[in-house]
Amino acid sequence: MGLFDAIDIAGSGLAAERLRMDVTAENLANAQTTRTAQGGAYQRKEVVLQEAGGGFGAALVGAMGGPRAVASASGVEVAAIVADPTTRQVYDPSHPDADANGYVDMPNINPVTEMVDLISASRAYEANVTAMQSAKTLFTKTLELLR
Amino acid sequence: MKDEIAPLKNSRPRPILSHDPQGGGSPETTDGWKETPTPMSLFDSTQLALESALRGASIRQTLLTDNLANINTPGYQRKDLDFHAQLRAAQAAGDVADVEFRPTTDPARIVRADGSGLDADQEAAELAKNALEYQAIVQVMGARIGILQTAIGVR
Repeated sequence: MGLFDAIDIAGSGLAAERLRMDVTAENLANAQTTRTAQGGAYQRKEVVLQEAGGGFGAALVGAMGGPRAVASASGVEVAAIVADPTTRQVYDPSHPDADANGYVDMPNINPVTEMVDLISASRAYEANVTAMQSAKTLFTKTLELLR
Repeated sequence: MKDEIAPLKNSRPRPILSHDPQGGGSPETTDGWKETPTPMSLFDSTQLALESALRGASIRQTLLTDNLANINTPGYQRKDLDFHAQLRAAQAAGDVADVEFRPTTDPARIVRADGSGLDADQEAAELAKNALEYQAIVQVMGARIGILQTAIGVR
């Protein structure tokens, strides 16, 4: 339980939400991409977040008798970036990647879903900034006791 | 009756009700306990309680920040700490200096479809409230230290 735990935790939230924004932006940018290095259309990606914790430090604090919930208060982490293999079929015979029947495999990306994700990540990012600022103010106030 | 009051741990001083240095005997504290010998510590139990409260508010701030960091984590159980209640219990037990604050989670609380117990607005409000509370505690601590400084002539 250090003085700067709250700032570190808010930092982990900032990193996670930023990654969500990056991945959402990548999805939007590749909404029409039909060719990828793996072959086939681009696969929509989604970030899966999980509660950070466990780990060596938390286990040590727990073993030394510290309260477990505080020991495990270590923010958020990215569990995985999951790709969605589904595609949607679009009829476009003039497309170079169209099959014999004139259908093209397009990424399964709905711009509306992506925009909602983007707003959600953006708001969560702001919440974490607020939490970090709040922690910073508190530590400054405490340090003023020394004057 | 007064003999039944358990002595404080570590012989910590209590606020003194009356004491006649010439008259001898023990000073009487506000809760009727006879202090022996005369307490010499600079800090009374109120200051120690303030320290514990500050620690509790700090832990709660960390927990609420953790909640906000996990605002998009599915199935997350929100963490919280009722440090007021735990400090009150410690005051009743007579030891306010070494309160071991125990954070809690509430697995039964699910407010979102993804199994999370978090409401963003509520968390932000709690965070703001706790920050104000923390600052209030720091202010009171600072004022009390200021009084002590005046008394001992530090400028």
